[in-house]
Amino acid sequence: MNNGTSAEAPLIELSNGQKQFGLFQALTNINLAINEGEIVTLLGPSGCGKTTLMRIIAGFETLTSGTLKIDGKDVASLPPEKRPVNMVFQRYALFPHLDVFDNVAYGLKVKGVEKEERRRRVQAMLRTVQMESLSHRFIGELSGGQCQRVALARALVNGPRVLLLDEPLAALDLKIRQHMLGEMKRIQLETGATFVYVTHDQDEAMILSDRVVLIDHGQIVQVDRPQDMYFRPRSLFAAKFLGETNLFEGKLTVSGIGQLSLETQDGPFEVVSNDAAVSGNDAAVMSVRPEAMSFRQSNAQLDYAVDAEIADVIFSGSRSFFHLVSLGGQKFRVQVQNMPGAALPVAGDKVHVSWRKDSATVLPLSRISS
Amino acid sequence: MMLLKAVVYATLAYLLIPLVVIILFSFNAEQSFSFPINGYSLRWYALIFEDPQLGQALVKSLMIATATAIVTLVLGTAASLAWLRLGRFGRSVLEILCITPIALPGLFLGVSLLVLAAQLGVRLSTVTIVVSHVVLSVPMLMIAMRARLALFDRTLEEASRDLGASQIGTFKRITLPLIAPTLISCAILSFALSFDEFVVTSFVAGTETTLPMYIWSMMRRTVTPLINSVSTLALLFSIAVMAIGFFVGRFKRASALSERASS
Ligand SMILES: Nc1ncnc2c1ncn2[C@@H]1O[C@H](COP(=O)(O)OP(=O)(O)OP(=O)(O)O)[C@@H](O)[C@H]1O
Ligand SMILES: [Mg+2]
Repeated sequence: MNNGTSAEAPLIELSNGQKQFGLFQALTNINLAINEGEIVTLLGPSGCGKTTLMRIIAGFETLTSGTLKIDGKDVASLPPEKRPVNMVFQRYALFPHLDVFDNVAYGLKVKGVEKEERRRRVQAMLRTVQMESLSHRFIGELSGGQCQRVALARALVNGPRVLLLDEPLAALDLKIRQHMLGEMKRIQLETGATFVYVTHDQDEAMILSDRVVLIDHGQIVQVDRPQDMYFRPRSLFAAKFLGETNLFEGKLTVSGIGQLSLETQDGPFEVVSNDAAVSGNDAAVMSVRPEAMSFRQSNAQLDYAVDAEIADVIFSGSRSFFHLVSLGGQKFRVQVQNMPGAALPVAGDKVHVSWRKDSATVLPLSRISS
Repeated sequence: MMLLKAVVYATLAYLLIPLVVIILFSFNAEQSFSFPINGYSLRWYALIFEDPQLGQALVKSLMIATATAIVTLVLGTAASLAWLRLGRFGRSVLEILCITPIALPGLFLGVSLLVLAAQLGVRLSTVTIVVSHVVLSVPMLMIAMRARLALFDRTLEEASRDLGASQIGTFKRITLPLIAPTLISCAILSFALSFDEFVVTSFVAGTETTLPMYIWSMMRRTVTPLINSVSTLALLFSIAVMAIGFFVGRFKRASALSERASS
C-alpha cells in the first residue's frame, strides 16, 4: 500500500473542485489525489460535504467548476453506470423486491454476465461476506449488519477499481461495527480495490485508513496519515476533531532570533518546532494529547511542565483519567496507563505535570473553527 | 389488545356481511328477499344466459372496465413517474390538476362531459364512456399512488445506475417492479369503479347500454334477485383476477429459486 507518495498517476484526481447548490457553496477548492489500492477516509462533521464529494466521484452530482479525472481521463460526461466505481450507500439502498442473491447478482446481470459465471461469482462473494446461508432471504428480513454485508457484496462482486462507502457502519452498534471494520480491511486486502470511505467517526477513520482527508465546511483542512493527523494536527479544528486534546491558550512573542515563546496563564513555553503557520503577536494555542502527559520529573531541555492540582480521578481498568487545574487556572486532562501496584496521585494532590516538547503542537488560534 | 381485535373483526364483518348476503340470495330458489331461505337453485344464473340483452350489457361493461383500467394504468404510471421526479411545487400542481375532478359531483361531470362532446361534435359511444370513466378514476389513482410513492426511495434508482444499469434498464428492473403492486391495485380499483359507474355513464352513453344501466332499467319494473347472481359473478371475476396475479408471482419466485439450485 502506498501513502500518496507514489510516482504513478493517481486513480482519482480532483482539481479545484467547486460545488454549489443554488447559492449554497457545498464544496470549495477541492484538490485531492487518491492512489490505487489505498483506503482513504473522508472525515468531517455532519453536513461538511462528505456525501456530496462522494456523489461527485460516483457521477450523481456534477462539479460546478474544476475537473475530476479517473484513471487519468476526465469523466465529467461519463454517467454513473459507465464509471469503474461502485458505491455503498449511506442507507444501503438494497432492492426490496429482490432477495439477497438477486441483489448481489444485479450488477453482473445488467452487464450481461453469463448465468453460470454469475452464479459462481455471486456465491463466492456471499461466502466472503458470510451470507451464503441467507441468500434466499428478502431484504426486509435481514438485520442491519446483514444488510450492510449484502450492500458490500453487491458493490464488490462487480470488481470495481474504486469502492465508495458512505458511512456504511453508522447504523450498527459498537460491537458489530468493530467486527465489520476488521472485515472491511480484510476484504480490501483480498480484492485490492481502492476504498474511499466516508465517516464522521474519528475512530473508524483512524483504524481503517491509510490516509485521512479532514473536511470542514466544504473545504479540505488536512490530508495525512492517521498518526500524523493525530499527533501533528495542522489546525485547531483538526486537533479538536480527532481525539481529545488539552489546549493551552496564549500569545506568541518573539523571544530571540527566530525564537518564539507562547505566553500563557502558566508562564511562557518556548516554541520549538514551528511548522504550523504561526508568527509573533499571534494568538495561539498549544495542543497536547492527555496520554502524552505524565507526572514524572521534567527535563527543562526536552519537556514542558506545569504545576497543577488534581480535581478528580476516574479509574477505568487499563487506564486512569485525571482532571486537573493548573496553578494558572487552566483546566486539562491527563491519561495514564495503569500498572499493577503503581502509586498514583489522588484528588487534592499537588502534582508536577510534564510532556515532551515534540509531543505538543502550537497552532494559530482561529476563532472561526469551533 | 382484545378490544383492538374485536374492532378489527367487527369492521371485517361490516364489510363482508353484505357480500355474503348477496351470494346467499343468488342461490335462492324463490323470488322473495326473506330469511330463512327455503331451497336453493341456480335459476337466477340460468336467467342471465337466457336474457341476451343482459348478457350484452355485461360484456359491454366488462370491456369498458378493462379499457378504463388499461388507460388509467398507462396515464397513472406516467403521472407517478413525473411525480417522483418533480420538486415540492411541481408535485402540488400535479396533484391539484389530477385530483380536483373528484370534488365535482358526478351529475355536473356528466353534464359537462356531454356538453364537451356536443361542442366537439363527438358521437356518444363506448369511447366517450371510457373517456369519462378515466376522468373519474385518475384522481382516485393519484390519491392512492401519492401515499405509496412518497415512500419510494430514489436512491434505489441511483444504486441501480451505479451498478451499471442504464436509465431505461433501471426503470424496467427497479422502478416498475416496485411501483407495480400499487399500479395493479389501482387498476383493479378503476376496473371496479368503471364496472358499476352509473351517473356519469348515463349522460355520455348515447345509445349504448352498460350493465348498471340495464339493471337500473330492470329494477324500475321490478326488483329481481337476478342482480344477486350478476353481482356474484362479478365478484368471482375480481377474485379470479387477483388469484391469478398472486399465483403468477409465486410461480415466478419458485422457478427462479429452483433454477439457481439446479445449475
Ligand atoms: N441536493 C442538494 N441541494 C441543496 N443542498 C444540498 C444538497 N445536497 C446536499 N446539500 C447540502 O450540502 C451540505 C453537505 O451535504 P452532505 O450530504 O455532503 O453532508 P455530509 O458531510 O455527508 O453530512 P452527514 O455526515 O450528515 O451525512 C449540507 O449542508 C447539505 O444541506
Ligand atoms: Mg452524508
